[in-house]
Amino acid sequence: PHSRPRHPGTRTMLPLLLLLLATAHGLDKVQYTPSLASPTLGAQTTASTFVLEQPRCVFTKVQDNTVIWLVVATPEAVANFNNSVGPGAPERNFQRFPTRVPAYMTLNTTILNYPCPKPPGEITVLRVGSETSCLGDDKRPTCNGPLPSPGPYRVKFLALAGSEPVAETNWSKPITLRTVRQSSSITTMDSGRSAGMIALTSILSILFAILLAGLVAMLVFCGSDACGGSSTFSKPEAVTVQRYNTHHVYDQPAARL
Amino acid sequence: MAKSDTGIRILQGLLVFGNVVIGMCGIALTAECIFFVSDPHGLYPLLEATENDDIYAAAWIGIFVGFALFALSILGIVGVMKPNRTLLLVYIILMLITYAFEMASCITAATHRDFLTPNLFLKQMLERYQKTDPVNNNDKWMIEGVTKTWDKLMLQNQCCGVRGPSDWQEYMSAFRSMHNDADFPWPHNCCVMDARGSPVNLDGCKLGIPGYYNSNGCYDIISGPMNTHAWGVAWFGFAILCWTFCVLLGTMFYWSRVEY
Repeated sequence: PHSRPRHPGTRTMLPLLLLLLATAHGLDKVQYTPSLASPTLGAQTTASTFVLEQPRCVFTKVQDNTVIWLVVATPEAVANFNNSVGPGAPERNFQRFPTRVPAYMTLNTTILNYPCPKPPGEITVLRVGSETSCLGDDKRPTCNGPLPSPGPYRVKFLALAGSEPVAETNWSKPITLRTVRQSSSITTMDSGRSAGMIALTSILSILFAILLAGLVAMLVFCGSDACGGSSTFSKPEAVTVQRYNTHHVYDQPAARL
Repeated sequence: MAKSDTGIRILQGLLVFGNVVIGMCGIALTAECIFFVSDPHGLYPLLEATENDDIYAAAWIGIFVGFALFALSILGIVGVMKPNRTLLLVYIILMLITYAFEMASCITAATHRDFLTPNLFLKQMLERYQKTDPVNNNDKWMIEGVTKTWDKLMLQNQCCGVRGPSDWQEYMSAFRSMHNDADFPWPHNCCVMDARGSPVNLDGCKLGIPGYYNSNGCYDIISGPMNTHAWGVAWFGFAILCWTFCVLLGTMFYWSRVEY
């Protein structure tokens, strides 16, 4: 019987060794989910861009020379996403996204550009899709170009030290961009008639009809002479003064006798 | 005899008074319609592009009707004072013709005001603002009118779009086909401008940060003057016509009581 010689510290050493092995290949999973910026921003999501909150005070345990990258992927690519594929690789080329590559990496910046704590009142956002100049430039595979379709997309932040991934965040919820509608779908003819217009039209028509009826009645009944008999109004007659020859004016000659 | 004489005298007095009021209202109508036709807010190109500028036609008719009312009221006063049956008959018939024209003007203004909905201006803005390939000369004229008017509106009134900047986001437009969405989520005239006419903070405007872009819509600024125009023509005309109705009825009665 051979008792297994055990070093007294082996029990604790094995798990310690395993832990050391794990951190050597060290992907620190930070419990942070990237989210869209506040909805008060008018362009939080547009047809080809979206705005994320900056990952401030998120990567607390990394060195100062770490570079934080943003990974944008289709939801299908999330499950077997390989963190080791570098940003310049053909599988991470923005110009071929999303038809030929499942994800791309962009918006790289050192951790020093995300200082902690965040100053209050400052708007700290990242606009994904703002670089339009490198849209078709294959020599810029990490272009932050406008997204070609409304999505949905899922993003996460990946911290790289050199070319080695050291930390990552969770994947965000699916982000869907705006779908534009055609302007021909706008209906312009569904306005009803307002009540004011109907009232105005009907009242005026009735009044006009009454006037026409009155005109006809006036002409038919009182056409040639004045109506109303004794209550007619006659023109004030021009008063003419007749000269009366009074008898004493003429001296009757004796010849008339 | 004396009693009816007094009655007729009172009627005469009332008719003269009624005609004086018609004359003054006619002049007021002419002045009001000239003011509207002169388009002080510069919104006529928008209406012209909708091909639905009949509220301007109503105002034009109003100018001439107002003048006709003034002239006919003088004729009416003369005819009532004399009194002369022929003159009064001419007065009544011409007044009825003027009445018909004014009725047309009021109904046109009221009806076409109902067509001026936000959707109408939205569709026209999306289809014509900064469109670069006009179909014909008429289209080119309308495009220029719409573009200039919208640029002026957005700059002077600090507004954007018909309901808001989201109009440019929700719909495809002629503007969008020439300017990509990432650089121009909305036209740069929607940005808050400094004294020299350039955006205070272009990135802030593109992000949509409140304070760097105009987030309210221009519809109130468009519909306000147009409502005033249409209701001014329609309802003032309606009031004049109601008064004229009474005066005409009185004149007809007076005519039937006057001897040749």
